[in-house]
Amino acid sequence: MNQELTEEEKDTLKHVAIKLETFEKHRGNLIPILQMVQNNLSYLPSEALKIVAQHLGILESEVYGVATFYNQFRFHPPGKYPIKVCLGTACHVRAGDIILENFERKLEIPEGQTTPDRKFSIERVACVGCCALAPVAIIDETVHGHMAPSKVEGLILRIKLQEEMEERENKQHEPGQS
Amino acid sequence: MSPDNHKNIDLKFNTIRKEAEKRRAAFRDAPVPKIHIGMATCGIASGALETKKAFEEALVENNIEARIHTVGCFGHCYAEPVVIIDHPDSGFPPIFYHEVTPGKAKMLVKLFLGDGDPRFEHIYGATEENELIPSVTDFSRFNQEKRIVMEKCGRIDPEDIYDYIAAGGYSTLVRALKLDPEEVIKEVEHSGLRGRGGAGFPTGRKWKLAKSVIEQDKIVICNADEGDPGAYMDRTILESNPHQVLEGMAICAYAVGAQQAMVYVRSEYPLAVKLVTNAIQQAEKLGILGKGILDSTFDLKIDVFQGSGAFVCGEETALIRSIEGYRGMPRHRPPYPVQKGLWDKPTVINNVKTLASVPPILNHGATWYRGIGTQNSPGTAIFSIVGNVVHAGLVEIPMGVSLRTLIFDICGGIPNNKKFKAVQIGGPSGGCLNEDFLDTPIDFDSLTKAGAMMGSGGMVVMDEDTCMVEVARYFLDFTQKESCGKCTFCRIGTYHLLKILRRLTKGEGLEGDLELLETLSQDIQTGSLCGLGKTAPNPVLTSLKYFRNEYEAHAKEKRCPALMCRALTAFYFDLELCARGCDACATCCPVDAVFTTSNRKKGVDQELCVKCGECLVACPPEYDAVRKVSPPHLVPYIEKPPEKNKKDHK
Amino acid sequence: MMLKLLVDNQEIETREGKTLLQACLDNQIYIPNLCYLENVERPSASCRMCFVEIEGIKQPVPSCTVQVRDEMVVKTDTPGVRQLQRTALRLLLSVHDVDCKNCHANKNCELQNIAKFLKVGLKPKRLERYLKETQIDETHPFLNHYPNRCVLCGKCVHICRGKHGQSVLTFAKRGFDTVISTYSVTDVSSLACSDCGSCVKACPVGALALKESS
Ligand SMILES: Cc1cc2nc3c(=O)[nH]c(=O)nc-3n(C[C@H](O)[C@H](O)[C@H](O)COP(=O)(O)O)c2cc1C
Ligand code: SF4
Ligand code: SF4
Ligand code: FES
Ligand code: FES
Repeated sequence: MNQELTEEEKDTLKHVAIKLETFEKHRGNLIPILQMVQNNLSYLPSEALKIVAQHLGILESEVYGVATFYNQFRFHPPGKYPIKVCLGTACHVRAGDIILENFERKLEIPEGQTTPDRKFSIERVACVGCCALAPVAIIDETVHGHMAPSKVEGLILRIKLQEEMEERENKQHEPGQS
Repeated sequence: MSPDNHKNIDLKFNTIRKEAEKRRAAFRDAPVPKIHIGMATCGIASGALETKKAFEEALVENNIEARIHTVGCFGHCYAEPVVIIDHPDSGFPPIFYHEVTPGKAKMLVKLFLGDGDPRFEHIYGATEENELIPSVTDFSRFNQEKRIVMEKCGRIDPEDIYDYIAAGGYSTLVRALKLDPEEVIKEVEHSGLRGRGGAGFPTGRKWKLAKSVIEQDKIVICNADEGDPGAYMDRTILESNPHQVLEGMAICAYAVGAQQAMVYVRSEYPLAVKLVTNAIQQAEKLGILGKGILDSTFDLKIDVFQGSGAFVCGEETALIRSIEGYRGMPRHRPPYPVQKGLWDKPTVINNVKTLASVPPILNHGATWYRGIGTQNSPGTAIFSIVGNVVHAGLVEIPMGVSLRTLIFDICGGIPNNKKFKAVQIGGPSGGCLNEDFLDTPIDFDSLTKAGAMMGSGGMVVMDEDTCMVEVARYFLDFTQKESCGKCTFCRIGTYHLLKILRRLTKGEGLEGDLELLETLSQDIQTGSLCGLGKTAPNPVLTSLKYFRNEYEAHAKEKRCPALMCRALTAFYFDLELCARGCDACATCCPVDAVFTTSNRKKGVDQELCVKCGECLVACPPEYDAVRKVSPPHLVPYIEKPPEKNKKDHK
Repeated sequence: MMLKLLVDNQEIETREGKTLLQACLDNQIYIPNLCYLENVERPSASCRMCFVEIEGIKQPVPSCTVQVRDEMVVKTDTPGVRQLQRTALRLLLSVHDVDCKNCHANKNCELQNIAKFLKVGLKPKRLERYLKETQIDETHPFLNHYPNRCVLCGKCVHICRGKHGQSVLTFAKRGFDTVISTYSVTDVSSLACSDCGSCVKACPVGALALKESS
């Protein structure tokens, strides 16, 4: 939780502070507020917990206690391409854990973490609602059904290539701006 | 409410209903084909968005006019994306197509809508009886279902309140508003409706208790937390027909005397959150919710609260704590929520399916409802059936149907000619039943007696290749992670259970482990504070009871009879069958564990192998050379794998 | 109003409105307990130690959750009760750093008392031991917390909230990983932790201590 905020995140945090004012100072708003903060920042840095506590007039430790209880809240920034591997019942029966392991191996990070370049993060999720396609992985909103260990590498490679292409294009379109 | 009020209500609602009927008629009578596309999460996950886009593009390309009608989920998740095309000019009845890819969509526009050829090879069935094509009602997946709660799911557009009203929606609320609250409660009580959230508490009795509390401020909460990792019927209902749930909530609020209500949906269900929020807004705009409902004196404000992902928050006292802004830790009951609930006010908490059952009950009457299902469990049960079963998805059946009928007739049995082994009912709190229970009727009491429970309504069918120890480990892994940590038995006890199961699946079981599992499980059941802890050991206890020999094989012989536990199995290639020079397995192995032997056949480097089974799939059926064995020492020695293989890996 | 109950065949008198646990303790009938605080509106009922059997109820119930009723018939030492209490204690000990010699609560510790009462050894044999990585949490300016001694009874959190309106101590994380935390409380000038110490006194074990220097 002690990572430095990027400039962009600092800006967003200011924006969040303004939005915070639209919430009544009411304990029952704690979880909706935390959800709003995470929707904007994609995680809950300690700076954010502080302003939430101030707004509601409660101790930071209270906010921390509540936030750490729920699965939804993250305290580390997710990757640009969050990978969610379904370990719901149907996916488990069809060996979703092997898919998860393959992502972990290929990206060299354990589940719950983000690659050092902040490109990928891996998360396990419960049933995403397409059990008939089990096992399932979701990369950046796109559902990939009937996953197989051998598909993992290809998917990652494809994103990496796409990234490179985008970067190249950006360079072409905005000369001098890089 | 006074008769004066009654007139106002009728007047107001009739205007709305006329508008709805006008809109429906305009749609129905438009002289163009209609394309209904299932667009709930399951449909979208299977590509319904792309399919819809393909339809739109193809209509433009072919210069054909047609209406696209987005509907919710039909429950036939195995067949998604599902599309129904109604093309009256062609002379065919409305036709149900399954697995409609963008390619299929384009073809159907061109050939069916354009040339009138319905493409028989792609038809699943007609949606009604006719002379031309077989109808889906010939399939038992269709004709043995009895849809009460899900009746309108997949038939109406969840984003359009008029669609619901034209289908008869909200007329029951109108009827209820003209009755005394006591009469409403009496009808629900007579119907015998029992809560579908798991425990099966009589809903009428709950409402009566709430009604009897003398207090002005009461609250109704719809519990849509649905934390079971393999169940999704509540989500589907909210995504396919949110208004029926809202109608049920409004009736409940009117009956118990509440002016405030809340839908507690998990934030992992973004589409459901969106659709319910939208539905509430639409209803408020028409004056069906909000202040002075339908010009009566009854007010009801419904809010949506997004749960933050904690299974335990499905438990009612924990759910209340989380709305109040605290850690979702359950509290001792009594006091029950109907006495002291949210913000200490009397609170009725009911499951999505319970509330959605209310409008049909009041509409058709308690006697009608009692006629469906069994004596003690009237009505229908909704299951999400997944796992090794042909027609996975959502099924709504009358209570009392046997497991055998459900699994084998309605859902098509076990795929790939495998044998049925077990069925887990009720999600992580439920139990695993074996073949001997296939003739058990599905109802609250019979399932509980068998050691499973209705629970969440998740049902996992397992074939002979499933290891029961591993399945128990999976569920314990889930409950252990989801324990709130408040009480000793659940917090620490489930951790020990999990550790023991884990070591069994790794072949590291210790002397006395099975007995320890048993006694610890029993103590956790009696000792825990809330339902999570009390039911967490169920998967262990039932599998231990019905599949003890499997546990013993793991504990004593370090062998997994189902060949599932990876630490206890190994792969090798039968050199007699392996084709010289074939590379199928080697190219697909994700860790390069396959090496070429000196006579150009294949071997597995056991040190590298992660046992993913890819080679088994990749090996061409004409060779079928891959073998899986347990325990691993049964692998014959082939030859030493090359050293170079290892250097590439850490 | 005074009520009469029969506990372990012994007649006791108590006032209406009391919990069964309190009534027994008042009458020198010991029932093991860790999370019970008197005069709390809704008991935490989390330690699951105070089980008793009540006539007419099938399973053992935690006595801290039961309001006394006239002519209640109670048994505090049935085999069923003892089985649950022993398992609960063994579970707590299985995540406890049993090192009494070096603990400031030695000889003044509820776990030791309960273990003696239930005749359970402090180092249970059948269960493996799982300890948390953090031995001492020293982030608070005046307090030290020992997660591997804490039984998560929640008394400290409750006492602190009662005294100061809100609690510096909180439960954090969830499930098996639950800990008592004072997250980010570095400025406590407003809460006067330095001369309070109520939480330390409330702790039934040795999981909280004032820092040596303070
Ligand atoms: C661990 C746990 C999880 C639960 N999850 C849910 C849930 O997801 N949905 C639900 O409706 N009820 C759930 N329940 C049951 C609720 O506590 C409550 O009984 C139910 O919402 C009452 O509604 P009903 O009377 O309509 O069944 C859960 C209970 C426990 C103990
Ligand atoms: S049984 Fe589990 S989930 Fe329920 S209160 Fe106890 S620790 Fe929490
Ligand atoms: S620190 Fe002491 S008082 Fe606080 S929860 Fe732990 S054992 Fe209980
Ligand atoms: S279990 Fe993975 S999609 Fe349902
Ligand atoms: S004292 Fe009753 S449960 Fe802790």
